[in-house]
Amino acid sequence: MIKIKELNKHYGNNEVLKEINMEFLRGKIYGVVGENGAGKTTLFRCIAGLENYKGEIISQISPLKNHLGLLLTDPFFFSKITGKEYIRLLCNARNKKNINIDQKNIFDLPLNQYASTYSTGMKKKLAITAILLQENECFILDEPFNGVDIQSNIILTEIILKLKALNKTVLVSSHIFSTLSDTCDEIHLLRKGEQIKSVQKEDFKLLEQEMKDFTIGNRIEKLELK
Amino acid sequence: MKDYFELQYVLTNRKIKEAGLTPLLGSILGLTAFVLLSEYFFHKIEFAKYLVILVCLSFQFRLSEKDRTDFLLSTYGDKLKNKIRVLENLIISTPFVFIIVYKSLFPEAIILLFCSIIIALFSFRTSLNFTIPTPFSKNPFEFTTGFRKTFLILPLAYALSVIAINVDNFNLGIFSILLMFLITLSYYSKPEEEFYVWVNVDTPKSFLMKKMMIATKNSTLLTIPISLGLLICYPAEYNLILLFFFIGILFLWAMVLAKYSAYPSEISLPEGIIIAFALSFPPLILLVIPYFYPKSIKNLRLILND
Repeated sequence: MIKIKELNKHYGNNEVLKEINMEFLRGKIYGVVGENGAGKTTLFRCIAGLENYKGEIISQISPLKNHLGLLLTDPFFFSKITGKEYIRLLCNARNKKNINIDQKNIFDLPLNQYASTYSTGMKKKLAITAILLQENECFILDEPFNGVDIQSNIILTEIILKLKALNKTVLVSSHIFSTLSDTCDEIHLLRKGEQIKSVQKEDFKLLEQEMKDFTIGNRIEKLELK
Repeated sequence: MKDYFELQYVLTNRKIKEAGLTPLLGSILGLTAFVLLSEYFFHKIEFAKYLVILVCLSFQFRLSEKDRTDFLLSTYGDKLKNKIRVLENLIISTPFVFIIVYKSLFPEAIILLFCSIIIALFSFRTSLNFTIPTPFSKNPFEFTTGFRKTFLILPLAYALSVIAINVDNFNLGIFSILLMFLITLSYYSKPEEEFYVWVNVDTPKSFLMKKMMIATKNSTLLTIPISLGLLICYPAEYNLILLFFFIGILFLWAMVLAKYSAYPSEISLPEGIIIAFALSFPPLILLVIPYFYPKSIKNLRLILND
């Protein structure tokens, strides 16, 4: 279990997270939604321990970072490292040795090519494969569906559900609401660093409608399309 | 064209400011360091003139990178692009030519100027499409990526050792060991993204130990053909060969520690000066290592949440 209590984060005078209170249980999938700049990535970075913050983040597993699979929105790859070496690097970092990487290449990636030559989607699939092979207890997936083809998105959805079945904690952010409504047990809505609401599965439809109304407003009319 | 060079001037000044210096002071210090280092090489190494030319050409090769020249071509057109590139290479070669002329090596200076102009007219793809095999695949990433980036320079160190043995020049052989270590030092010159440190389960101490062990193991693998060759051909000089080998290892450790003592920032002037001092007087390395170690531990503690 991960518990966030009164989390605040500032960058200089800019307050990017305000009084965040959340709880993430084992065997559950949590979505975090919000516009660009709402604070999703900062929240994830705070949980991972990559940012300093005010407040408390308590985890049953300690230290959390050593059992956390972190997929960043835009994973960085060294210029001359192959896909296989990238996976090995991340597994070595967690002392997971002797993994049959070729057998576990479920996205059929060209693992002997330099990762920097991969497309956006392939890079994301490589990063996902690597954190899955680390055998983590908790996963933070920041926009895992972004740039990934439909076939792989189907696989990814099934992987997330499998992680839930394996009693892992999964946090996902996505700009495609359906990918969250298909997988999540609870969705947290962030707006300008504030936790606007937390919604259970049965109310996802209402949340989607509310987000649509808020986001669209009268913007389309303003265009005066003819 | 004037705009382009004005922009380059601004960018260079910005880099100097990022290193914590004023542009004027940075330029003076840079030029002084360049002159002193060149003098040092000419004083210590027999083949320093080739080294100076090689360093100059390697900078110019980088500027001829295909994507870069394609950008210049699409922005300025063919004629202006060539003018810019020639001028860039001439600016780069100026301090090198100055040193060579100062040493009365006039034919070499003409050859360097000629090569500078020729290189400017071509573009090269520095990143190859095929994957260069590496013996360091099991423990990514410094030697894995570094080996591939310096793939064309590594044979030079081996070639120098072969020449050293053939012409019976022991000093050149020692230089080839040091050159190999110099190349491996460059693998630790840039900080990696925070994520790649954060992801480790190690404590700061075990993290550093692991990094230093890998650096020792891999650099030994790279230098062993040279060291063995020299040991076979100059068995009486085994103590000198081993001494320089261990000095190389110590510098590699110092470099690893220097990198993490500045982390997550790049190694900047203070660390650079300390390393440069140690290079000019190697026994200093025994003080440099314990100086960098606690600083590295402190920085890593923040990221590894220890």
